[in-house]
Amino acid sequence: MAENSDERLSRLFAAARDERIDTTAAEAYFETRLLGRICELRETSEPWYAAAWRMLPAFATVAAVVAVCTVTFNPSRSSDLFSAIGAGQDEAVSSFLTRE
Amino acid sequence: MVDVSPELSDESLVKAALAGDDTSFARLVCKHKRRVFGLAARFARNGDELEDICQETFIKVYEKLSTFRNEAPFENWLSRIAVRVCHDALRSRRHEKHQLNVDLYEIDVRDVAGESRQEVRQAREFLRFAMSKLSADEQLVITLLELEELSVRETAEYTGWSEANVKVRAFRARHALKKIVEEHDGRKFR
Repeated sequence: MAENSDERLSRLFAAARDERIDTTAAEAYFETRLLGRICELRETSEPWYAAAWRMLPAFATVAAVVAVCTVTFNPSRSSDLFSAIGAGQDEAVSSFLTRE
Repeated sequence: MVDVSPELSDESLVKAALAGDDTSFARLVCKHKRRVFGLAARFARNGDELEDICQETFIKVYEKLSTFRNEAPFENWLSRIAVRVCHDALRSRRHEKHQLNVDLYEIDVRDVAGESRQEVRQAREFLRFAMSKLSADEQLVITLLELEELSVRETAEYTGWSEANVKVRAFRARHALKKIVEEHDGRKFR
C-alpha cells in the first residue's frame, strides 16, 4: 500500500511537471504595467514630516519617562535645615543660610 | 514591449537602473520575467494572483536593487525574492477555505474517464487539491523539489532554510501528501 501511494505520488508529480503553463498572454506589456505601478508608488510615498508625525507617540513616551524620573530621583526641596543637610540638598542649605 | 539587446549584461542594466534609468530596469524585467512567471504560475490560482505575485516580486527587486552584489548571478537573487513572495502568498491563504473541491473533481472523473489526456489533467487537478491541504511550507518545498526539480541545495538557498530543514520538511510534506492520496485513493483517483 505504501509503495502504491509512493508510485501514485510520483505519477502525480510527473503529470504536474509535464504541464507547461503558458504565461505568454500574462507577460505581455508586463513591464509597462509594472513601471506604471512603480511611478504610482513613487508619487504616493509619504514625505519626511509625515514620518515625524508618526514618531509622536514615541516622543511623548520619552517625555513622560523623563518627567517621572525627574520627580522620583529629584525630590522637592526640604524647608527644614537638618533634613536638607541629611538629604545632601546643598542648594537648599545655602539658600537657608543666606536667607534667599 | 521593451526591446532587449542581448549584449547588455545584468550588471550594466542594474547599474543603469540604480542611476535612475527606468528603461534599463524595464529591460531587466523583460529579460527575466519568464522565469518569474513560470515559477509564480506553480503557486498562483488564477491570472490575477499571477500578476500580483509577479508585480510584488519585481517591486521588491526595484526597492532592494542597491543591495544586489554581483557575487551571484542576478537570476539567483531574483529567484530568491520570487520564492519568498510566493511563500508569502501561500501563507496569506491560511485562513481561506479550500477553493478546490474534491467533489467537483469526482464529477470530472465520471464525465471523462478513459481519455488519457483527460486523465493527466485530472491528475494535475487532484494534485492541486491535495497540495491545497498542505501547509504553506510544505507546498513550497514540494513545488520547488518535485515540480521545479530544484536540488536540496538550491531549495535551501532560495528559501533561506538549512539543507537539513529542507529535507525534514520535504519528508513531512510527502508523508502528508501520501496520506491524502491514500484517503481518496479507492473512491476517486484511478
